[in-house]
Parts: sequence; structure tokens; C-alpha cells
Amino acid sequence: MSKAPILSLRGLCAKVVDEDVEILHGVDLELIPGEVHALMGPNGSGKSTLAKVLAGHPGYEATAGSVEYDGEDILDLEPDERARLGVFLAFQYPVEIPGVSIANFLRTAMQARLEEEEELDLFDFQDELLERMDLLDIDPSFAERPVNDGFSGGEKKRNEILQMAVLRPRLAVMDETDSGLDIDALQVVAGGVKTLSAEDPEMTVLVITHYQRLLNYLRPDHVHVMVDGRIVRSGGAALAENLEAEGYEQFRASES
Amino acid sequence: MSESATTLLRAPEESGGPLPGLDRNAVEALVASGPPWLGQRRLEAWRVYEETPMPTTKEEEWRYTDLSKTLRLGELRLLPRQEREFAPEGAPALLTGSMRSDWAAAGHVVDLDGSVAHTDLEEEVARKGVVLASLARAVETFPELLEAHLATEALPASSGKFQALNAALWTDGVLLFVPRGVHVELPVRVTRWFSGPGRAVFTRTLIVAEEGSRVSFVDEALSADFPAQTLVSSAVEVFARRGAHVQFVSLQRMGRGAFHLSQQRTLADADAALDTLNVSFGASVARVDLNAELRGAGAHSDMLGLCFGEADQHFDHNTSQDHGAPHTKSDLLYKAALDGAARAVFRGIIRVHPGAQQTDAYQTNRNLILSPDARAESLPNLEIEADDVRCSHGATVGQLDEEHLFYLMSRGLTRAQAERLVVTGFLGEVLSRLPLGGVVEKVSGIIEERLRA
Ligand SMILES: Nc1ncnc2c1ncn2[C@@H]1O[C@H](COP(=O)(O)OP(=O)(O)O)[C@@H](O)[C@H]1O
Ligand SMILES: [Mg+2]
Repeated sequence: MSKAPILSLRGLCAKVVDEDVEILHGVDLELIPGEVHALMGPNGSGKSTLAKVLAGHPGYEATAGSVEYDGEDILDLEPDERARLGVFLAFQYPVEIPGVSIANFLRTAMQARLEEEEELDLFDFQDELLERMDLLDIDPSFAERPVNDGFSGGEKKRNEILQMAVLRPRLAVMDETDSGLDIDALQVVAGGVKTLSAEDPEMTVLVITHYQRLLNYLRPDHVHVMVDGRIVRSGGAALAENLEAEGYEQFRASES
Repeated sequence: MSESATTLLRAPEESGGPLPGLDRNAVEALVASGPPWLGQRRLEAWRVYEETPMPTTKEEEWRYTDLSKTLRLGELRLLPRQEREFAPEGAPALLTGSMRSDWAAAGHVVDLDGSVAHTDLEEEVARKGVVLASLARAVETFPELLEAHLATEALPASSGKFQALNAALWTDGVLLFVPRGVHVELPVRVTRWFSGPGRAVFTRTLIVAEEGSRVSFVDEALSADFPAQTLVSSAVEVFARRGAHVQFVSLQRMGRGAFHLSQQRTLADADAALDTLNVSFGASVARVDLNAELRGAGAHSDMLGLCFGEADQHFDHNTSQDHGAPHTKSDLLYKAALDGAARAVFRGIIRVHPGAQQTDAYQTNRNLILSPDARAESLPNLEIEADDVRCSHGATVGQLDEEHLFYLMSRGLTRAQAERLVVTGFLGEVLSRLPLGGVVEKVSGIIEERLRA
């Protein structure tokens, strides 16, 4: 019995708004609910661009192809509309929002999910936030800190996972959430994602990474290799191990 | 404003004849009603006022605020001091609403059109010798204290044309005196309401915190919109003696048509901590001159400011940090968020005088421009005459960052919600530096209300 895909990309081409250079040159990808996919590839191959196009970043524009989420084309939707449908992007470089606490930010995000006349119950929210922090082994005082302001690399990534835990996405795209982390921080991130996947087996994860070590934890069902804006190879978990040993040159060579 | 409020506040004017203008006759009337030392001081101040030319945009400190276009001194009328009782019934909703949130206080003052109409002070605080009083009455009850401190060391008439004008024409104000070693836990809250269009109100605040004492003072100015210009000139003198801790907060929430002129001088003696927060939301033109002098070794001043402008509002904040003693520290953070065609000017100077070694002086001004017609001018300056100092100044003028908004929207916030959150955070950062009970909630509430409008 096959499930309908949660995400399906067909021939997706994309470029930077106001510039003529195309970055994605026809990407095909299909994610079934509950699967973990890894997207690998050399720097500059277009992985972050793909993540941002999925989340609706205004600086990028799809020029051809389609992005279907849960059976609907979402390319015309604003980033917030996509988020409210269950799309989540864990940023490679989370931005600092001085003066805004994580708790306030998440409260506003949860409020935004309600109908306009509905008011978020603040006590319920507080309970939920504490429960999610407890699940991820995060100290409650963390939520009172201003969003990413003065955070270490590891704290920023932990904050991304906390947001993911509270927002409970159906599709999580994680852009190099593991890069720049020491082994402890990596375990926090990987452990968090595993906990959330175990809790919601229907959650789908697309993890962008350079490193085998995160994949050792997450055990992807599929691995894709992106080079110069195209997916040049897809396979099982073994493909990632092969990349670790051989590098990406093999694909570059095969292209020319 | 409700009908009854209008009656309440207009009554005195109707009972007298036409109100006087800003002239020598008005000064002489005030001189006649007070003690000789004060009369001398008023006349001398008037002389300085008349001899000092009106500042023009040719002067650096007034470059961006053109008084010839914005201030109509000739059309303004003075309201003499009135003996009044404040009655919450029938008072404007903006005034009573604001006061209701200020219940947690060591004492209250209500000032109506420049006359103190109510004061109260916790019994226990009063018993320790703290004085909270109408300044006009204190002329009789605390003559020595006033003669020594009023327009002398802090804001003498010689400090400028408007300082002189205020020293000549003030009608009332607030005196707060805290004796040696007394800690006043809750803040003192002053609420001022201005009702009449076309008036000029001159008010003074004198705060004397004796050695080792502690006190916080929150001064809020409110009004409805005015169909004709109203000038509120406020002179603030704060003395923090050795080791005293003083917080002074000004919340300016006047209506359009108001020209708000606030001249403040804070004098911090050795080991004193004298912090200020100036919040400007209202008025058509608001000018704040703040000079913080750190004159005793180990003195410390945090100087905070935030303003949120819209439509054609014009804000001009002019600050100086004067370090006259070694081991002193000042840290200034002023922020402005500007919508519509609002304009903010920040001009700040750090002066480290010879001998003020081991000084730390910091100055940061940040402006967030929310609309294409809004503008900000930032003019930081340093004058260092000592060699062992740590000083820095920084200024930014920026717009909402699309990457910030995208990050927030990617969590489901609408663009409007994301913008509100960024602005709230931007201004809120200032409040987090002076976490004074009641003030943070009140100011955050006003910011959010305004962002929703
Ligand atoms: N906003 C942008 N403006 C110009 N070029 C961009 C922009 N974003 C991405 N690119 C270019 O697109 C290519 C892919 O970038 P990116 O998606 O960040 O790659 P990856 O995440 O795989 O390292 C790079 O050559 C990069 O320079
Ligand atoms: Mg990248």
C-alpha cells in the first residue's frame, strides 16, 4: 500500500529574484510521509536555495516546475501560510531578534495558527512549552532569552529544534543543522529530531548535510546528491557512506 | 476629552480676565507673589532670556529643529498657578486610565495644567523624612533647600535661552527630597495633564537624594490633541549625593499640537548611580536636552531613551555625558522607531575632562525606519581630554530586515505580526535595561497598542 507523497517536486527551476542566473535546474524529489531523506552535495550546489524555495523565501523565484505539498501547489503561498500548513525550515543561519524572547516568539507563532477571533490560552501554552523543553532536555530559562541573541552555534541549533518541537511540523527541512557543532551539540540536535520522529511517525524530514555523523543517528531512508542545481544520484543509506569515502568529484566528472 | 473634564480644567481661566502672554509683566506678577531671593532669580533669568538670541538652525544644537517654523511663543498664553483639588470623577479617561496602572507607588503627584492638584506619600516613607510636595508650596515650607538647589548648580538661567525662560516663568512643579540613607522601595509617580490649547506651561522638577538614599521617580505627561500649539517646558534637576541611587523616568505621551521641551540635568556625586529613561511617544515636536554630569569618583549613569514616531512627529534628543571625575561610567542607549513621515534627531556628546582617568563612556543610538518618508539623523560626538579611558560610540539607521521577517514568517507569523514583534523587541531592549516595576508593562503596552493601530 503506497501513501500519497507529502512533498513532490517536479522539474523545479529557481533563481534569485532580480538576477538572471538560474541556481536550480530541474529538481525532482518525492517524499512519503514518515520518511527521512538526506540531501547532500558540495558547497554552492543549491541545497540552501532549495530549502528556501520550499519555505517561500521572497528572495528566490521558481521559474519552472512545481512544488506540491500534501497534493497542493504551494509556490504562490506566503512563507507564513506554508508554515501554518505544517512546513518547517530549520535555518542554516538562524537570525537574531534582539529584545524578543523565545517564549514570546513561539506564543505569537501559536497565536497565528488560530482563527482571528480566537485567543491563545496562555496557561496551556506555557504548559506545552515547558513540556516540549522537558522532552528535549532544555532548561526552562532558555525560553526567556532573546531569540538567538548572543547564542553560541549550538544554542542556535537547539533553538531551531525547540521551535520545531513546539510547532510540530508535518515536513521539516533541516539545513545543515549539524554543521559547526561539537559532538555534544550534535547529539542534542540528532536526539531531538529522533525524539520528535518517534513521537510523530508521520513527520517527514529532509535533512541537508555534509556529514555522515548526523546520518548515523538519523538513518535516512533515501539519500540524494545535488551537484550544480540538480539531483545527480539517489540511493539508500549506503550512498552517504560512499560519499564520505569518495567525495563528490565522481559526479562532477560524470557530468562533463 | 469628556465635557466634564473640560469644565474641570477650564474653570479658572473663565473666572479671570484674558491670560497674560510671555512677557516681563508676567514675570513681575510672579516676582510679586514670591520671596525676594526667588524674585531676584526670576528677574535675572528673564534678563538672560531677553539677552540670549533665539537659537537658529545655524547653531549645531538646533540644526534640525527650526524654531522659527515650529514654535509660536508670541501666540502662547500663561495660566497662573491655581489652587485645585484633583477629582478622579469627571477627569479625562486617558488620565485616570493611566493613573490606575500606577497604584503601586510610594507616592503620587497629579499636576493639572502646571499646577499641582494632588500629592500623597506613604505614611511610613513620610515618617522617614521623605518630602514629596508642590514646588510652589515648597518655596514657603523648604525655602533653604530650594534656594540652594533651584536653578543654581544644575540648570541655572545661564545654561540656555529656554532654561532661562523656564527659570523666569515657572509656576509650579514637584519637589522630591530623600534624606540620608533612606530607601524608598516603590517609585514615586507623577502624572501631568495639560488641557488648554494655546497655552505655555512652565514646570520644574527638583530631586535631591541625600547620601546613600534610593529612589525612583516616574514623570508622565499626558494630553489630548490640541487644535492650537501648546508649549510644555519642563526643567528637571536631579542631585544624587554620595552613594545615592536615583532613577528618573520621563514618559511623554502628549497629543498632537504639543511642543514639549524638556531640559534635564543630572548631577552624580561619588559612587552615586543616577539612571535616566526618556520615553517619547507623543507631541508634534519634542525636544529633550539631557546633560548627565558624573562629578564624583565612581559615579555611574545609565542613560536610556526610546521614541516611537508617526505621521509628522518630530523628535530631537540632545544629550551629553560629562565625566569630571576618575573611575566614572556612563552608558547611553537611545532608540527610535519611525513610521509615517516622522523624524528623529539624536545628537550626543561624550566629554571626558582632564583628570577623569579610568572612565568608561559608551553611547549607542539606533534608528529603525518603518516607512519611506520617515527619517533619522544621528550625530554622535566625542571630546576626550584624559588618556586612560574606554569610550565608544555607535549609530545606526536601518530598515526592517527582510531576513528577520522571513525567519519569523517561516514560523507562521503574518508579515504584520512579524513586523510588530521586531519593533517591539527593538524598543523593548531599552526597557530591559531599566526594569522598573510598572514602567516596562506600561510602555510595552503603549508600543503594542500603537503597532496595532
Ligand atoms: N541570494 C543570492 N544571490 C546570489 N547568488 C546566490 C544567492 N543565493 C544563492 N546563490 C548562489 O547559488 C548557488 C547555490 O547556493 P546555495 O543554495 O547556498 O548552495 P549550498 O547550500 O548547496 O551551499 C551558489 O553559487 C550561490 O552563490
Ligand atoms: Mg547551504
